[in-house]
Amino acid sequence: METATNQNTSTSQNYRLEFLGKGSEYFAIMIVNWLLTLITFGIYYPWARAKRLQYMYGHTALNSERFHFSGTGNEMFKGFIKLIVFYILMMGGYMLLLTYLKSPLLAILYLYLALFAIIPFAVHGSFRYRMSRTSYRGIRFGYRGNRNELVKNFFKWLFFTIITFGIYGAWLQMNLRRYTHQHIRYGDVEFSNEGEGSEYFLLNLKGYIFTLFTLGIYLFWWQKDIFEYYINKMKMSKGETGIECHSSATGGGFFLLLAGNLLITVFTLGFGKAWADVRTQKFICNSIQMQGNINIDEIHQTEEEYTNAFGEDAMDFFEIDLA
Amino acid sequence: MNPTVAALYFDGQSSASRPVVLQFDEPFLELHLLFAGENTMVWPLSELRFENYGQVLEIRSQLHSGALVKTEDPGFSQAFIKAMKQNKHVDVHSRLLGLGFSKLMVLALVLIALVGLAYFYALPPLAERAATLLPESFDEEIGNIVMESIIDEEEIDVEKTKVLQSFASRLRLNNTKALTFTVVHSEQVNAFALPNGQIVVYSGILDGMNSPEELIALLGHEATHVNKRHSIQMLCRNLSGYMVVSLLLSDVNGIMAVLADNAQQLHSLSYSRRFEKEADEEGLSILMNNHANPYGMVQLFEQLEKENKFSVPTILSTHPLTTERKENMQKIISGSSYEIKPDTNLSSIFELLKD
Repeated sequence: METATNQNTSTSQNYRLEFLGKGSEYFAIMIVNWLLTLITFGIYYPWARAKRLQYMYGHTALNSERFHFSGTGNEMFKGFIKLIVFYILMMGGYMLLLTYLKSPLLAILYLYLALFAIIPFAVHGSFRYRMSRTSYRGIRFGYRGNRNELVKNFFKWLFFTIITFGIYGAWLQMNLRRYTHQHIRYGDVEFSNEGEGSEYFLLNLKGYIFTLFTLGIYLFWWQKDIFEYYINKMKMSKGETGIECHSSATGGGFFLLLAGNLLITVFTLGFGKAWADVRTQKFICNSIQMQGNINIDEIHQTEEEYTNAFGEDAMDFFEIDLA
Repeated sequence: MNPTVAALYFDGQSSASRPVVLQFDEPFLELHLLFAGENTMVWPLSELRFENYGQVLEIRSQLHSGALVKTEDPGFSQAFIKAMKQNKHVDVHSRLLGLGFSKLMVLALVLIALVGLAYFYALPPLAERAATLLPESFDEEIGNIVMESIIDEEEIDVEKTKVLQSFASRLRLNNTKALTFTVVHSEQVNAFALPNGQIVVYSGILDGMNSPEELIALLGHEATHVNKRHSIQMLCRNLSGYMVVSLLLSDVNGIMAVLADNAQQLHSLSYSRRFEKEADEEGLSILMNNHANPYGMVQLFEQLEKENKFSVPTILSTHPLTTERKENMQKIISGSSYEIKPDTNLSSIFELLKD
């Protein structure tokens, strides 16, 4: 059973992930968010987002101990401003090309380029931010990816995707996932992901064809396969010890989740979204099974204080939280 | 002596927890962490953040990164949270949340009602007022954009356009800006005015007319929409509504989309009943000023009603309650004095418009 205080690190143990949130509680959070966003004419938005994340993280527990999200509205507000500045610069460039050079083709090309160019920066920034603000049992998560390396790789993958008319997209997604996941740390625990573009491509091809032939019914099983692939390829390791993940989600489960969420949301005119979100979170947590021999009582902080890291890395424009 | 409770302590360096005794020194606003072996840590309240999950209370200090204490004592939690509130270490969000579910719902409903009231009653007049601040050049530009797309999509009847121009040039339409008239070749029973003074009449509506008075009534009605800048006012109204909604949903892109969408839809924009009434009444007085028979307006409505029996004419779907408007016209006509001087030139030009 889940004995977190197991002293013998070589014996295998289960880890229980669960979501303890309630729809009504989350709904109250959303109502207050909405009230405050309304009376501040939308300015409260980043703070509202922080509250939502804090609730979601705070009610996710591993072996009965809760996660914690320490990001604040103030931080996210700064990110929000950065995003607006970028948006203005981008649209400004677009307008300039359109009005002065009178070249709509160039302007649209520029717009697409700018939008694609921000993706790797945004991925890097949001991983860094999210991870540095997440902790469990007092130990922070961290993201140690190298931004320049990611940007270089991303454009290489993007280039392949374009010249293969999108087929390489499966490899792009898996490569990106592998890169980001293998740079996640939880104290001295390292994460990794062994997703392969070829497998992911075949999985999606199969899903697509079956969905087509079953008039969409297979969609839920396709969803399940994707989720399973994401989860089963994830691993954690610490020295000689490790944790393996596997998904216990079923296609039927996905059907009940998604159809139920749709009904809840539609019949409550959207007010039931809080309950739908909680259902989703519970489903995800219940579907992730973890087994291994890392003793979660013996993890040591290795991440630097993020506030210091920020100082040396202040040029990182996109250290913001994205959806 | 302050009461003590048992708690678990995570130091932020290792994931292992160890027991600690918590002592809340309320007068000094301090939390004391008493470890075995006489070690004591002092956490000032001003540096603390806490999370309350049912029975569980998690307290973190900003001075000790990652460190947290966790306790499940209800009495302690209550006293601690109360002190945090009194010393303003609890934000507005948590305070509101503390009101409880039912009070929150009431508050939300009141706010929804207020927003609804503002949206339907305060916003439209404000937006219409704002429209008067827009320069005339805005009307021109937006009208030109829409006209360009109409020229692309519709088949313009060049001959009849010339005829209609000469018909209108013989009328006094109370216009302040130059009006241009265009006939579009289409079965649709439709006509509309653009803010730049473009009045577009579909051949479908012309074919159904029996007298030049009906056409004068139609042109008078549409000219009034231009003269009174109705479409710009409606645009501002629609836009302000969307702007508030978008603001609430924090959707900036939406506003731009709405602006573009509304500009495209300008010719099928439905005016408010007040604007339609105004255009009817002004149109009627234009009829009278031109010494035409004011019953032309009534006939126009009758034609539209007749069309209605076979198919819904486009012009009606955007002009509600034809019967009511017709009755309003009849009431005004019977209460006013007017002089009819038939213009034979107008009649002959009118015949050219029909075939």
